[in-house]
Amino acid sequence: MSIEVKDLSFRYGRITALDGVSMKLEEGAVGLLGPNGAGKSTLLRILLGFLVPERGEGKVLGYDIRREQALIRRAVGYMPESDCFIAGMDAVTFTSYFGELSGMPRQEAMKRAHEVLYYVGLGEARYRLLDTYSAGMKQRLKLAQALVHDPKILFLDEPTSNLDPTGRVEILELIRDISSNKSIQVLLSSHILDDIEALCESVVILKQGRLAAEGRMADLRAIHYSLYEVRIKGDGGPFREDLEGLGARVDETADGLVKIYMPEGGDRMDIFRAAVRAGVQLRSFVKSRTSLEDLFAGVVGVD
Amino acid sequence: MGATVREKGYTHWDGTLVERRFPWWPITRTGILLAFRKKRFKLVFAAAFVPAFIFLVGIYISERLEDFERFLQGSDRFLNIGPKYFSTYFTNDSLLFLIVLVLAYGAGGLIADDLKHSSLQLYFARPLVKRDYLIGKMSVIAFFVLILTALPGLVLVAFKLVFAGSFKFFLQYPWLPLAIVGYAALLTVFFAFYVLLLSSVSKNARYVMVMIFGVYIFSNVLFGILRGIFKTPYMALFSVPANLQQAGAFLFGQKLPHAVPAVWSFAVLAGLCLLAAAVLDRKIRGVEVIR
Repeated sequence: MSIEVKDLSFRYGRITALDGVSMKLEEGAVGLLGPNGAGKSTLLRILLGFLVPERGEGKVLGYDIRREQALIRRAVGYMPESDCFIAGMDAVTFTSYFGELSGMPRQEAMKRAHEVLYYVGLGEARYRLLDTYSAGMKQRLKLAQALVHDPKILFLDEPTSNLDPTGRVEILELIRDISSNKSIQVLLSSHILDDIEALCESVVILKQGRLAAEGRMADLRAIHYSLYEVRIKGDGGPFREDLEGLGARVDETADGLVKIYMPEGGDRMDIFRAAVRAGVQLRSFVKSRTSLEDLFAGVVGVD
Repeated sequence: MGATVREKGYTHWDGTLVERRFPWWPITRTGILLAFRKKRFKLVFAAAFVPAFIFLVGIYISERLEDFERFLQGSDRFLNIGPKYFSTYFTNDSLLFLIVLVLAYGAGGLIADDLKHSSLQLYFARPLVKRDYLIGKMSVIAFFVLILTALPGLVLVAFKLVFAGSFKFFLQYPWLPLAIVGYAALLTVFFAFYVLLLSSVSKNARYVMVMIFGVYIFSNVLFGILRGIFKTPYMALFSVPANLQQAGAFLFGQKLPHAVPAVWSFAVLAGLCLLAAAVLDRKIRGVEVIR
């Protein structure tokens, strides 16, 4: 078990950012998902020791998050969401500097900085001043500084934000390579569902500071609900109200497709019965394979 | 750029991370190197040694008065080398101003740049604590202040002995090197807190530079205005340079420039350092927490 937290709570003044979150994360790439303000970044910051939880306990690689922060930071690479660099430095100096601050000998840090900069695709630009880097290059640089000391876990906070489509694909390719081939565990916080779906085997979904779902994506899809896509003719209002009364969530797309998220244990025949009661005609009925987007909508309740 | 992603694959590092005795040292070394990459700073830094050079020439002439009699024309009373001479070197307005100038150019951005470019979180994602970060930054300031004060001060003493060709001066004032080191240490501690305080209150290094000058000069202007109004020397306590000069005169055993007990100046300087420590403790953290 690489990361384990129990009853973790944190508040920013009166605002509760995390409320009793407990989870155990397995090896491999894990997605940390949730809408803005769900507590994803706060959780990462608590795991790194930037913030001290008000309640609860946790361990990262067996190190206590309250008492052994230095050991955790030695073993973890952190790629923050916001742009961060040191003005007046080039990429080699910057990357080796943070390697040295992690505890690498100076010469080793310098050698390693060259290696990771080549790895992230900044080999040619490694002597350029960081002030002149584009957004995509800064993103790669953040990944390089997170990798320089060869961490056992990578915490990536919105790694593809502010990137153009090509840059995004390249960063995702790097992360996939790291998580699948390099025996480095990745905890990826993102609100871009496609990124998590493309990279992660399991997911943690936070909602308003609470744990909404956790586990392997395939299992979560099966456990939490079943998704049916139907097309109807007639007044959809009473039909929707009837289904919602049964605990289902109903969404309608712009082209008139009605998505029905039936709760765990729900019977699909209830949809037909509701149609009869509401006097609507079912024109098509498909049990859909759920995407992460559907899972997210079903669990969190937002689009 | 995409082509280079796979140019070299990722390889694990087979070394061992070490626990440093001084984890802040890379911060200090990098801070000093970054300062020297600025052209303007190099000029200012070089200019800051002019007072030391002038005082060194003064020591040389004092040992060869007969050779320079024609040039001095009775002004050799200024060349009576003793604690007063050293006190004058350390507390003269031009040296203090040059120190402020060096720190404004070389150290103004120490924290401001980290705040501007959100790099604090990168520092604190490493096995560093707030204390390591602040010691690292303060040591940059200590390097500049000590190299402009303690080093020339001790070199001046050494040259005095060399030019005189005897240890008489040292035996006469054996406490002088201690006073030099003590005053240099006081300047170091004060300026470390002063500069880092101002560097932590803005994300713009240029504003910080202006503030480092502004507060220093404005405090002296304020002193002049208040002294004019209230006709009391205690108004000197409002002035940063006046307090430093009071402390310097006290440490070198000289008459205080203002008729205020030196302990008050020490208290004001200590108070400013405590205020700075409190602000820095609040401002320096891995994440910006808005409560």
